[in-house]
Amino acid sequence: MNKTVLAIGILITAALVAVFFLVMGKDPGHIDSPLIGRPAPTFTLRAVGSGQPLNLEQLRGKPVVINFWATWCMPCYQEHPVLVQNARMLGDNVQFVGVVFNDTEDKIQQFLNARGSAYPTVIDEAGKTAIAYGVGGVPETFFVDKAGKIVAKYEGPMDGDTLQSYVAKVMQ
Amino acid sequence: MIVFVFLALLQLKVPDAQQLVGAPAGKKLAGAELDQKTMELSQILRCPVCQGLSISDSPSIMAANMRDQVRDLLVQGYSQEQVLKYFEQSYGQFVLLKPKFQGVNTFVWLLPLGALLIGLAITLVKMNKLDAAPAAPAPEAPADDPYVARVRELVEK
Repeated sequence: MNKTVLAIGILITAALVAVFFLVMGKDPGHIDSPLIGRPAPTFTLRAVGSGQPLNLEQLRGKPVVINFWATWCMPCYQEHPVLVQNARMLGDNVQFVGVVFNDTEDKIQQFLNARGSAYPTVIDEAGKTAIAYGVGGVPETFFVDKAGKIVAKYEGPMDGDTLQSYVAKVMQ
Repeated sequence: MIVFVFLALLQLKVPDAQQLVGAPAGKKLAGAELDQKTMELSQILRCPVCQGLSISDSPSIMAANMRDQVRDLLVQGYSQEQVLKYFEQSYGQFVLLKPKFQGVNTFVWLLPLGALLIGLAITLVKMNKLDAAPAAPAPEAPADDPYVARVRELVEK
């Protein structure tokens, strides 16, 4: 066989194998957020229960954990107690905010009544806030530092250790 | 009570596109032109919760929200580039079904062209080699071959 053709064949095969190994092991549903390191998109949304507007900018000065969730999301049931427990434990040091989209206030209120609540939950009526944050699915959680900059994002339900390790990043 | 609710609603604000892509740079669309442009842009934006579907083709709620957002931005006068940039700022280039000609994406565009050029080059080199090689002379049968002599005899009859 011609040496040039053989060399080209080996080169192409090596490139394909390299791409395969680079992509393999990556979650195809994972989206690298371009928002990391940038200011968190600001919003003023209505809080469930009180109906009072909650403005993200007013929380500037303390770390904020923004959790996107919905009552139709099964992993959110698993994550909710972790969030509530840590919000109570961290108290005023960190502000937790739940953002619910594509849901109804009745269902959210029932969910919170049944499972407890330790922080404000706001309604993202047409999912516009979720879009601005690049949310692909729920639950998704953003960690915002004191200056209002997004430091990290977590996709999927968190356990206590994961949540605390991410909170530590915004407390620095 | 009604006044209180109304005042609270007035204060509500979703993230402002102007923060991300600047002031609207296009014309405010309406009617058929708006429908057409919404459809065009929805076909080139990827649904983030689907497998390779555009937000135009996806039946998911997330895709429906994104289509509505495209429409709202066009109504406000954001240009096509600004609308695409808005989604790219949130989801990254993942959201663009047609990757940009920059960075690693350059390979997506250049690799097929490169493969075609390499194929053409190999074909041309092979063709040149065939042209340059002298034609092999036809082998002559030995004069005293009895088989050839018999064939000649039969043909000449």
